[in-house]
Amino acid sequence: MKETSKTRVLLVDDEERFLSTTGRLLGVRGFQVGTAASAPEALEELEQNPYDVVVLDIRMPGMSGIEALAEIKRRRPDVEVLMLTGHASVDAAVEIMRLGGADYLLKPCSMDELVDKIQAALERGKTKKGA
Amino acid sequence: MGRKGGKEGSRRLPWLPWVGVGLVALGSLGALLTGSQLWLVVILVLGAACCGVATGQLLAELGKARRERALLDARVVQSHKLAALGELSAGIAHEINNPLAIIGREAELMEHLVGSALAGAQDGPRAELQESLREVSRQVERCKEITRNLLSFARKMEPVFQKVDLNRLVEDMVRLVERETQGKGIQILREYHQGLEPIRTDPPGLRQVVLNLLNNARQATEQGGTITVRTKAVLGGGVEMEVQDTGCGIPREHLARIFDPFFTTKAHGKGTGLGLSICHGIVSRLGGRIGVRSQVGKGSCFTVWLPVEPGSGGNA
Repeated sequence: MKETSKTRVLLVDDEERFLSTTGRLLGVRGFQVGTAASAPEALEELEQNPYDVVVLDIRMPGMSGIEALAEIKRRRPDVEVLMLTGHASVDAAVEIMRLGGADYLLKPCSMDELVDKIQAALERGKTKKGA
Repeated sequence: MGRKGGKEGSRRLPWLPWVGVGLVALGSLGALLTGSQLWLVVILVLGAACCGVATGQLLAELGKARRERALLDARVVQSHKLAALGELSAGIAHEINNPLAIIGREAELMEHLVGSALAGAQDGPRAELQESLREVSRQVERCKEITRNLLSFARKMEPVFQKVDLNRLVEDMVRLVERETQGKGIQILREYHQGLEPIRTDPPGLRQVVLNLLNNARQATEQGGTITVRTKAVLGGGVEMEVQDTGCGIPREHLARIFDPFFTTKAHGKGTGLGLSICHGIVSRLGGRIGVRSQVGKGSCFTVWLPVEPGSGGNA
C-alpha cells in the first residue's frame, strides 16, 4: 500500500451514512478525513482547513456537485477533485474534465476503487506541479 | 382485415330485403292511388332511402374517425410513456445506486470489523462470514452493472443532430479512458486525420459508442499492449473511426453474433452482453454502420462509418 497518512481527503455527500462509513474506512486506510454534507459546507471547510483531494457527489440538494467543482477549482486550483455520480453520463464526464475535475467514480464503488482514484488524482496533481 | 370486410358486408346486406318489400308495397299502392299521388309517394320513399343511406355513411365515417383518433391517442400515449421511461430510468438508476453504495460500503465495514473483532474466533466461521460479506459486495457490483445497462437501453431516444468535430469528440473520450490505461501499462496511439470535415450527428450517442469501444479494447488488452484510435475521410463519402487493440481477439464463431443483445464472451457476471448491441443500435440510428475484424491472439479492430449528413450515403 502506498503512503496515505499525510493525505487529507474531504468527503462531500448528502447521504449521512455513506459519508460516515466511507470516512471511517478511509481512516482505516490511513487517510486524514474531513466530511461535509453539502457543497456550501465543503467550501467553508476548504477555507478553514487544507486538503489534497476532495471527493464530491454530483447530485446534492441546493448547489450541485458540478457547480461546487467549478467554485473549488476557482478558489483552490491546487486541490484535486474526484466526482461521485449515481448514474453514468458521458456528457457529465466531459463536463467534469473541462472544469478541471481529476476523474469521476460511479456509485456504488468499492473502497479499493476509491483509494486507487484518490492516489491517481494525487499523482496527477504532483505531475502538474512538477511540469 | 378479412374480419373487418365481413363486418361491413353484413352491415350492408340487411338493406336488400327492404328493397324487395318496397317494390311489393309500391305495386300494392299503385292499385289504390292516382298517377301523381303515386309519384309523390315514390319521391318521398326515395328521399327517405337516400337520407337513410347518407346517415349510415356519415355514422360509418364517424366510427372510422373515432377509431383512427383512438389509435393516434394510443400512439401519443406510447411515445409519452417512452420519453417518461427515459427520464425515469436516469432517476431510478441514481436512486438505486445510492442505497447500493451504502449497502456495499457497510459490507466492507463489516468485513473489516469481523477481521478485527473476531481475531480470536475459530477460523472456519470467521472465514465463512467474511466470504459471505464479500458475496454481498459482488452482488452489489452486479446490480450496478444492471442499472447502468438499463439506463443505456432506455436512452433509445430520437437523436438530435448537430455539427461535430469528430477528432475532438474522439479525443475527449480517449482522455477519459487514458486515465485507466496509464496505470496499467497500456498505450493509446492517436492517428487522427487532420482537416476532417465536420459531420452532423448526435454527440451524446456517438460519445457513448466511442467510449464503449475504447472500454472494450482496454479490457481486452494486456499490460504492454496498445490501442490505436484512427479517424479518416472515406473516398466514397462519410468518415470512419477505428478502435484497434492488440488484445486476445474474438474467435471466428463469435464474430457473427458479437452485436447480438445479451451475447457476451466475458466471464459470468462480468458483462451483460448489451454494450456492443447498444453501439450497433446507436450507429444505425445515426445512419452509419459498425463492423469488426479480429484474429485470435492478435487483436480486434472495430470500424464505425458515419455519413457527413444524416441520410447521405457512401460506398464504404
